[in-house]
Amino acid sequence: MSDLLLDVIEVGKTFARGGLLSRETVVAVNKVNFQLAAGRPEILAIIGESGSGKTTLARMILNMETPTSGRLLLDGSDLAAISDSASRLAFMHKVQPIFQNPFESFNPMKRVERYLLMTRRRFAGAAGESTAAADVDAALHKVGLSLKEVSDRYPHELSGGQLQRVAIARALLAAPKLIVADEPVSMIDASLRMSIVNLFKTLRDDLGISIIYVTHDLATAYYISDRIMIMQKGSVVESGDARTVLKAPRHPYTHQLREAVLLPEVTSAAPNITPSINGLISPGAPERTA
Amino acid sequence: MAVFFRDLLRHRTEFRIGLVLVALVLLLSVLASFSPYPPENVYVVPPDLPPSLTYWFGTTSRGQDVFWQLSFAIRNTLLFGGTVALVSRLVALTVGLISGYKGGWIDRVLMSVNDTFIVIPLLPILVLFYFVMRDRISWLMLALIMACFGWAYDARLIRSVVMSLRQREFTQTSLFSGMSTRQILTEEHLPYVMPILFSTTMNNMVWSIGLEVTLAVLGFTDINTPTIGGMIYWANQHTAMVAGIWWWIAFPTIAVVMAFIGLFLLAVSVNAHIDPRSRLWNVGGAS
Amino acid sequence: MTQANAGQPHGDRESQPLLSVRDLQAYYRTSHSGVRRGIRAVDGVSFAVRRGEIYGLAGESSSGKTTLIKSIAGAIKPPLEIVGGSIEFAFLPGYGGLHRAPRAEVERIRWRHLSYIMQGSMNVLNPVRRVKSAFVDFAYPHIGGGRKQFEQQVIAHLARVRLDPSVLAAFPHELSGGMRQRAALALATICRPGFIIADEPTTALDVVVQKEVLGMIRGIQRETGSSVLFVTHDMGVHAHITDRLAIMYAGRLVEEAATAEIFRDPLHPYTKSLISSLPRIGEDAPRAGLGGAPPNLADPPSGCRFHPRCPLASEMCSQEVPVMREVAAGHRVACFAVDRDVRA
Repeated sequence: MSDLLLDVIEVGKTFARGGLLSRETVVAVNKVNFQLAAGRPEILAIIGESGSGKTTLARMILNMETPTSGRLLLDGSDLAAISDSASRLAFMHKVQPIFQNPFESFNPMKRVERYLLMTRRRFAGAAGESTAAADVDAALHKVGLSLKEVSDRYPHELSGGQLQRVAIARALLAAPKLIVADEPVSMIDASLRMSIVNLFKTLRDDLGISIIYVTHDLATAYYISDRIMIMQKGSVVESGDARTVLKAPRHPYTHQLREAVLLPEVTSAAPNITPSINGLISPGAPERTA
Repeated sequence: MAVFFRDLLRHRTEFRIGLVLVALVLLLSVLASFSPYPPENVYVVPPDLPPSLTYWFGTTSRGQDVFWQLSFAIRNTLLFGGTVALVSRLVALTVGLISGYKGGWIDRVLMSVNDTFIVIPLLPILVLFYFVMRDRISWLMLALIMACFGWAYDARLIRSVVMSLRQREFTQTSLFSGMSTRQILTEEHLPYVMPILFSTTMNNMVWSIGLEVTLAVLGFTDINTPTIGGMIYWANQHTAMVAGIWWWIAFPTIAVVMAFIGLFLLAVSVNAHIDPRSRLWNVGGAS
Repeated sequence: MTQANAGQPHGDRESQPLLSVRDLQAYYRTSHSGVRRGIRAVDGVSFAVRRGEIYGLAGESSSGKTTLIKSIAGAIKPPLEIVGGSIEFAFLPGYGGLHRAPRAEVERIRWRHLSYIMQGSMNVLNPVRRVKSAFVDFAYPHIGGGRKQFEQQVIAHLARVRLDPSVLAAFPHELSGGMRQRAALALATICRPGFIIADEPTTALDVVVQKEVLGMIRGIQRETGSSVLFVTHDMGVHAHITDRLAIMYAGRLVEEAATAEIFRDPLHPYTKSLISSLPRIGEDAPRAGLGGAPPNLADPPSGCRFHPRCPLASEMCSQEVPVMREVAAGHRVACFAVDRDVRA
């Protein structure tokens, strides 16, 4: 196989809107390139605001959208070659998602253990049915829960933090090499956030899983990422080692993002009306939504 | 299942009332098996007698006991409506689920077929069939023809529900858990589709029975098999209202109205009960 | 038991609080299909907002802060019921709450004395009408005068939030999220109300836009001297804009002090845990989240509702309810462990 777990080559995504007579094209992702090395698990944070294309990029890596240009290679094989259920299963065995809203990630009318058992059954390989419950329990223990706590429960009977952990446990049961987490903690209470963010660190260190952590929150990204990629309007404006980029940003947009982070401490003088920043937000004519 | 019905009985008045009405109607149709007179025979009892202790619902101008005729009539009508509803639900469900989930060219093809059936006017087709088939038209054939026209509108409803479910993240979770398309449709999405299925079944039955009655009254069906419409047809032939034989028309009408209202109440209460939103509210989840 | 205006002199109009909430209890009472449930979302809350201050209310999901805001704003519909306590605005005295006042009175004070900035300005901007219509519908009845003159006033006010007059002619969906929220801010402040309720006004905005909008809120507040009740779960926002801050947990207040003091010296175990768990750029020290699960308001823990997750919990904590006590100047805490430390 190749020595690259994930190879993103000149990937772009354009959406067309409008009818027959007037078609608008929106460039959501524009020529993105990056790689994740195999055998060296890391956490890569993709940071951007809404409209930056980070979610579209994540969806393409998860094969939920097809790129309009460029190629995505996972362990050497092109995602575009996935056509039948066998190749799809093989793909899902390697890459698993975590979504932003844990309550949307599960069917509110079904018990959550159902998805855990189902994932275990499908991706178990040689392991038989008899160890299924034990394996599910083990996965739940890795995220700080247990089968006893979770069994017979519907999604709304658990808290957001607990449910997101169940989602992580489910992803783990497929024994993936890569987890793509799209804003996994933005809908979780601040007090519960860190335990999940710390969990991602554990996944990398103890289980050797690489994580693509898509977020707009620089502070948590700083806390756990090895590398960071800043996206603006579909393009990557800066990337590199997390600490270097955030402590000494070079691109003006990164700098702007950093300045906008509100520290949880009270500094001396609070500013009054802040002047329009770099003309980025034009206060004048109504912008057409992209 | 038992818990389900017990909850319904306990908490919803509409369900209780609907159950009572439908039970009465069903009882009547079951009694048909005990009828002392075969349904097609005429002049077995003195004609034109008003309701009395001997003849509970009176007798018709054709010398039939209204009560026993009605029992056959309501049974046949309900069987007819039920057949149409069942067949058309199955088609609507299959088309709606596949079309909504798959999208693309499958969706386009199925929806073109769908819309064709919506647009074709039903009554002229039925009349045409009647004139072509004449006496060979059987109830089963009529039921199947009507089922062909009864699925299209509801298939679109189901399709739109499935399309929106497809976008929701739990569908992705199911996919990444390794579920097949068939599994996702039947296990994840179907519970959301059930309320629609239920209420449209009710609509469908009302529609098909209404149409059957209309056709029978006009004489376009096999009027020798007793049905509600058939009874009214014969009543009109003998100018019952003018002659004052009101019981010949009144009792069939009351019976079919009871059946409609009963089924309606059942559908509404079961619907409210199994609707995902109200179910979640009951269990205590997010609204 | 009431600690409503601890340290506030009475009778002096200038220092009389603009909003005074006393022992408020608001529950959701449902009886659905024979199942009776009571969610004690707000269970004995007392606080006061002074003139000219930005008072922050922090709390996470299941803290009850959304219910508290609804109660204060008068948006009380079954199954929500106010079962005890009172809510008193200085400009609408004597009713104990907006929900008890007659409709005419409520109409009189809305937008003129009391206004709102909510999350997702779509709630106040009608999506099928132009932005101008919102101003005409809500603000014009209070300002009056000629239409031309009113329009000039609106344009001048929009300039304060750096919006071009052309915004008036646009539909809400044609504006960006930040612009919509600024328009909502202009709408809420044009009549110069004495009290503004802001419920997560910047939560859905990008960080860059958020900082700008917060600056505008503060700027307008300083200019008009309004009081603001600012509700958000984001502690960074509180640190940036509020003067005083109250922390809410499971339907009760647990701590209240000047914002600088809360961040510098939090006393309640929950506040401490909350603040210490927030990561900061440039600091690599490991941080831990709070253990356990958020409380279930339908069946909350007995005594102090935080005790199942509290590192300092003692026998008494599960049996008695701690009361908000002033342990330092202007600093109230509801915790037995803190009381013990103070007395010691």
